[in-house]
Amino acid sequence: MNELLKDRKNLLASVGVLAAAVAILSVVIPDALTMRQPDVIHKGPGVTEVRKLSDFFDGIAGTRGDTEVYVLDSGKPGASALILGGTHANEPSGYLSAVLFIENAVPAAGKLYVIPTANASAMTHTDYMEGTPRKFSIDTPTGPRSFRYGSRATSPADQWPDPDIYVHASSGQRLSGSETRNLNRAYPGRADGTFTERIAFAITSLIRKEKIDITIDLHEASPEYPVVNAIVAHNRAMKIASIALLNLEMDDIAIGVEPSPANLRGLSHRELGDATETLALLFESTNPAQGRLRGVTNEALIVQGKDDMYLAAHKLGRLFVPFGPEGEPLNKRVARHVSTTQAVFDAYASEMPDRHVVVGAMPSYKELLGNGIGPYLQASGSP
Amino acid sequence: MTLIYRLIVVVAIILITMELFTQKNFALKINAGLVLIPLAMRALMIV
Repeated sequence: MNELLKDRKNLLASVGVLAAAVAILSVVIPDALTMRQPDVIHKGPGVTEVRKLSDFFDGIAGTRGDTEVYVLDSGKPGASALILGGTHANEPSGYLSAVLFIENAVPAAGKLYVIPTANASAMTHTDYMEGTPRKFSIDTPTGPRSFRYGSRATSPADQWPDPDIYVHASSGQRLSGSETRNLNRAYPGRADGTFTERIAFAITSLIRKEKIDITIDLHEASPEYPVVNAIVAHNRAMKIASIALLNLEMDDIAIGVEPSPANLRGLSHRELGDATETLALLFESTNPAQGRLRGVTNEALIVQGKDDMYLAAHKLGRLFVPFGPEGEPLNKRVARHVSTTQAVFDAYASEMPDRHVVVGAMPSYKELLGNGIGPYLQASGSP
Repeated sequence: MTLIYRLIVVVAIILITMELFTQKNFALKINAGLVLIPLAMRALMIV
């Protein structure tokens, strides 16, 4: 050892390699840490209060699972609704739809709660081996605005190690071990459970404490997944989902309705409907950046949604949704979520005329398709 | 559990750094340097 250290040439080479490793780390670490900086979300004209999820369950206070709950209170009697974006942080249309509601919506009756990053920890990292970019940007009239593209699951920095088999606490259902960090397999959650189960418990507590009438969980799925461009509804929410479907079809928005499977446990549309009084629904749009058949995975795929591999798969009849050369752009996926949310609110109003939620000032499906989402996002900068 | 994991990673970093300085083969020195990068990030809990 001493001889080697005395070998000046060898010592210099060692110091050089170590310095190169440190130099690479000095670039890589700050870049990775940008994922821990929350995106700027502006309070729109309808936002009356910004709370923390830990206000409803202090077991997540001070952790990366705590997140903002935007409250848009009309001040008029009506129903209360909760919109969950970012349950899976690699499904950006749900996240951006929630942001659009925060920055644009003005409730005319009832009260709206919006959580844009339901699993805030999942926003702090990307999925291994997927090659997804950390961020994507949307052009707004005042310049590009950046958003994080995270992971399906809680960061292993917050919950580790994964068991070989994940056992859902209240049902005993057995799933792959990595699903232990999936928020949408953890409902209704446990106060003394894992990090992810505690986030789920906090959301369930919010629904119970605020007496939420309608809960909408916004998701995306790959084009080869059977449940896509669809509403998945708890059995008590099937009626309003069906009414919403009819209204959407009349506006030429093709969508399906699926009943929440009784034997698939831990999901929001099943457990929140069973454990609380809320009408639980989950929406799925089509995200080619998530699929196994995709080609180059980059920001363009996330935002523009064009992919030659999916085009070929569609021609072979392997997909569950139409997929043309125009792809499935983020604008269209957000437009679909926003319109479906509004259609569900309208359907609820038709069923409960004396207790409903009306959300105004939101762009329509055609406006979002025609203008894109950029004009409806506020400029970058401090909130 | 996480503390034990990080302790193991720190020990691995020390051993690999020692290997980097004692190894005569330059290609293996570079190997050691490359392995240090993800290990350092794991020790800092950056994923």
